[in-house]
Amino acid sequence: MATDRKKVAEILASTRRQGRRVLLEHEAKQVLSAWGIPVARSELARDASEAVRIARELRYPVVMKIASPDIVHKSDAGGVRVGLSSELEVRQAFDEILANARAYRPNANIAGVTVQEYLPQGKEVIVGAMQDPSFGATVMFGLGGIWVEVLKDVSFRLAPLTAEDAKEMIREIKGYPVLAGLRGEPQVDLDAIADMLQKVGDLACEFSEIAELDLNPVFAFDRGKGAIAIDARMILKEGS
Amino acid sequence: MGLESFFQPSSVAVIGASREPGKLGYEILRNIIEAGFRGGLYPVNPKADEILGLKCYRSVKDVPFEVELAVVVVPARFVPLVMSDCAEKGVRAAVVISGGFSEIGPAGEELERQMLEIARRAGIRIIGPNCQGVISTSAGLCASWPLVRVRGHISVISQSGTIGAALGCWAAHEQIGIDKLVALGNKCDVDEIELLEYLAKDPRTKVIALYMEGVRDGRRFLEVASATAQEKPLVVLKGGRTTKGAEAVLSHTRSIAGSDAIFDLAFRRAGAIRVFDVEEMYDVCKGFASLTSPAGPNVVIVTSSGGSGILATDACEELGLNVIELPANVRHSLKEKLPPECVLRNPLDLTGSATSAMYDEAIAVISSSKEVHSIIAIIGDPMPGIAEVMAKHFHGGKTLVVVMLGGGDVELEERAKLQKMGIPIYSSPIRAARALAALTRYAEMRAERMGQNLKPQPPTNRRLGE
Repeated sequence: MATDRKKVAEILASTRRQGRRVLLEHEAKQVLSAWGIPVARSELARDASEAVRIARELRYPVVMKIASPDIVHKSDAGGVRVGLSSELEVRQAFDEILANARAYRPNANIAGVTVQEYLPQGKEVIVGAMQDPSFGATVMFGLGGIWVEVLKDVSFRLAPLTAEDAKEMIREIKGYPVLAGLRGEPQVDLDAIADMLQKVGDLACEFSEIAELDLNPVFAFDRGKGAIAIDARMILKEGS
Repeated sequence: MGLESFFQPSSVAVIGASREPGKLGYEILRNIIEAGFRGGLYPVNPKADEILGLKCYRSVKDVPFEVELAVVVVPARFVPLVMSDCAEKGVRAAVVISGGFSEIGPAGEELERQMLEIARRAGIRIIGPNCQGVISTSAGLCASWPLVRVRGHISVISQSGTIGAALGCWAAHEQIGIDKLVALGNKCDVDEIELLEYLAKDPRTKVIALYMEGVRDGRRFLEVASATAQEKPLVVLKGGRTTKGAEAVLSHTRSIAGSDAIFDLAFRRAGAIRVFDVEEMYDVCKGFASLTSPAGPNVVIVTSSGGSGILATDACEELGLNVIELPANVRHSLKEKLPPECVLRNPLDLTGSATSAMYDEAIAVISSSKEVHSIIAIIGDPMPGIAEVMAKHFHGGKTLVVVMLGGGDVELEERAKLQKMGIPIYSSPIRAARALAALTRYAEMRAERMGQNLKPQPPTNRRLGE
């Protein structure tokens, strides 16, 4: 997968033009995709009919999520619906998600609802990047869910990463055995994760205006089956 | 130009020297005299003829001899003018103590810029402004306060004047001493990176203590710190671990990284030894300055106090040292030589009836074992003659860390004797264990890196395709 610098620059510039620092989920995913990072296919629906059209294209079942730069924690806002398998369910979900979001944060700017392809559950990991004020582009890796939120079991490296750096930071976390295959479970696709870490590091190096980036969760599948970013959050630097 | 003029100047002018005790311009001049500076020393003050018995000059330009280093203590608004005088005079380096520069806002920034511009044009290097000065004990130079003149092998770079001074004073008090101390202040010119490069190559410096709050160029810092840690131990204390950035944090990545995770990563990658308070920093530097480097992680604790032995064991184990079982032959020999009430385990408890002679026997036996790399000797009771015993074994090849906590006049006497002989004393088991663990880790890291250097190295940074 080739990296498309021009496309990335265009999406970032367009976000800026709209006076935003926070990219919408589908925009962040477009950036990642243009950079050769596998993401769950998603599109923005501005109304229920559009949601239905997208759902048909992506094929049922689909996942739907609130799309608002002002709502960071989508589940907390009642803004996520999964396993939607029909036009009726998609229309209902669209209305519910919008109503929940408005109740949760009445003043939030709402762009619509992101419709996303449904993927089987993988091992959840988080891949992140940020610009450190002293050290510049930095990449983070950890297991998803409570591992990252409660236990803060993560590793960091300065970008760009060598292949060895990427492998090391995967092995460095305490939860590594979960990925390596615990009690006869198969190992996840560590090469795919390492590749994603390197690409995210390169992206953060090349585009230092990306201040913060979370790929969370990333589903890591069994060895040879890849890793895909399910959700993404991208925030640009202040100013400029 | 290099930094030699700060540390081995042939002559020093104190610009803003004062006749009034208590004023910095007086204290600094007096400290330079009392530290035993042998070169030319010239107070500069237009309103005085003589200060502390030295002829005083109206301007540095009036000094009829060469002036290599200027110590500047005049109010900030006069500093650019003073710097012009220094430029005309051919001064090589200036320590600017005066405050009132970039730390106070735009007006001060402008003064700092002017001063630096004049200095750059004349090739004058600057430490400061807004700093607590420079000490170089081997040159008898204490252009700082309080007076520190005990020579040693620790060199200190500190963004904080007080933290640097504390290390210098503690080291002097225990006869450990320091070699060089630089309080960075606003670091408008000389910064920690250049000082690290200098001290890494400085033969008098055995260990570098660095107190920092931030760096301008983290990548460069990492590079230089790595190179430095290859040469000698670099002990780092970093302030500002918990401050939150001004920007709102929206991602997990940034919230977990905070302001510290990347520094921590950098210190680990560089091979620097990270400490978390000033006392620990001192303890560790003291160890590097005066203890034999341990050949491995196996430690035996010899104590007269059961409780202290247990605390030492906990601390050692938690810090990654190996409190090994006493080897069988060691147990046998000890059984022959020690009274039956001694507990022949590790920690080896000589009990409250321990004597200096028992320590002598025990340490001799333990030192002879190849499986033991270091010994912590805890003196829990006042014990005449213990200093001679420790001194005898201190240079015996194994790392020997002495802990004294018995108290009383006897201990003070024995402690003073040991300090005079350059043998460091720790006042608690955990402080000793921390120092020993740091030395052990550093020795391991050095050995590992040596091993790696023998193999072909892969490129450390993959370049991005442009």
